[in-house]
Amino acid sequence: MRLFLGQRAWMLQRATAVVLLIFLAAAAAMLLAGPPLSYERWHALATSPHGAVLIVVLFAALALHGWIGIRDIVLDYLHSPAVRLPLLGLIALVLIAIVIRVALTMAAHFMTAG
Amino acid sequence: MSAGGEEEDVRISIYRFNPETDAKPRMQDYDVMPEAGDKKLLDALMRLKTVDDSLSFRRSCREGVCGSDAMNINGRNGLACLTSLAGLKEPVVLRPLPGFPVIRDLIVDMTQFFAHYHAIKPYLINDELAPERERLQTPEERDRLNGLYECILCACCSAFCPSYWWNPDKFIGPAGLLQAYRFISDSRDTATAERLAYLDDVYRLYRCRTIMNCTEVCPKSLSPSHAIERIRLALVRESS
Amino acid sequence: MRAPPGSAPKFLNLSQIRFPIGAIASIGHRISGVLLLVTLPLLALALDRSLRSEAEFEALRELVSAPGRALLLVVVVWAASHHVLAGLRHLLMDVGIGSRLDQARTSAWAAIVAAGVIALAAAVRWLS
Repeated sequence: MRLFLGQRAWMLQRATAVVLLIFLAAAAAMLLAGPPLSYERWHALATSPHGAVLIVVLFAALALHGWIGIRDIVLDYLHSPAVRLPLLGLIALVLIAIVIRVALTMAAHFMTAG
Repeated sequence: MSAGGEEEDVRISIYRFNPETDAKPRMQDYDVMPEAGDKKLLDALMRLKTVDDSLSFRRSCREGVCGSDAMNINGRNGLACLTSLAGLKEPVVLRPLPGFPVIRDLIVDMTQFFAHYHAIKPYLINDELAPERERLQTPEERDRLNGLYECILCACCSAFCPSYWWNPDKFIGPAGLLQAYRFISDSRDTATAERLAYLDDVYRLYRCRTIMNCTEVCPKSLSPSHAIERIRLALVRESS
Repeated sequence: MRAPPGSAPKFLNLSQIRFPIGAIASIGHRISGVLLLVTLPLLALALDRSLRSEAEFEALRELVSAPGRALLLVVVVWAASHHVLAGLRHLLMDVGIGSRLDQARTSAWAAIVAAGVIALAAAVRWLS
């Protein structure tokens, strides 16, 4: 298998973009419709089962979308394998760590809320 | 040009590089007096050539068919023979095609560009038994080749594509991809699946970010970006 | 002096190339994408903090609206607006909507101007 995907990466970038656009539209509609966001409302929203799952999905989509984007930038401008591969590896690790961190945060609140 | 129809000097600043005498390129200014009938930039260059025969550039048909005189004209790629002198801001700054290795003055090395062209197999592939006479197409099938077959391989597009500048060895570039789509679209060609499989690569096709610089500068008004869009959609259909 | 063999020069001085509007929208899309990616870890930390307690939630709101931070926030608003608008343009062009050159030029202008106006509105609101 090739290290960097062609068609599938391109498709994934578009698919995550659509997911993020829907998220953004929904969040904007909710914020504009309701009163200014209070802690109570935000906490209730975010720690509800649906909210918690959606937030993790949101961050996973952001990380995946960002990964393909930054991967393309590195492939365009940085050609030395000695620079490129460690850098991409590091970025991938940070992105995975962010998603895990968010999942743990939401799991913790989910437990205490439940 | 003045109101009386009297011709005026045109100032042209040209990128000069002679590998036998120069360590690095320099710009040289010329004033050229166009004569009656000199309408295009190439006419002025030909005039200059009679004054300074060391000035090097490619040209042949002088009417936008051979694709030899592609160059960077005031910051945009175009053919000298199709560019009107009248509309050009002075000094007219001429440089070789961006990102291509310079052989001498405005002449660039197109080896890699043509290597990409050959790699997409720019010929009909059909293993079926050949009919007694030619392979027929309906008028509709023939129409699908319009906007594709007219490419003259001048390299204006690929040499204006940032993705091609960064990866000229791996990205096929707009010209090669337009040609690839020309054969993918051809009803007489039976290698569509193989052609698409070859293009499904992070470098060959997917360096394109739809900047559309290619379509901006094509002197034949073709749209390589549209061809690339169709290839990508064909790959989506192929994979699903 | 003679150039060493095999070292042909290349003309690729980007300041001497006239870029069409689509190229400006595209490099903006790239720059804004990198900016947004840099804010992603901060966003994850902010999420965690905002859910801890009401005091933390308010502290976060203070932190974001502090005078020095507002400028950063305007930059993030520009990045998000430009990335979303230019991205929407690309999604549509990918499926053949507005991918003709004249339409693509118009939408590139529209994305650049709209993102600029949104950032300006954010600046007026937070920086004054």
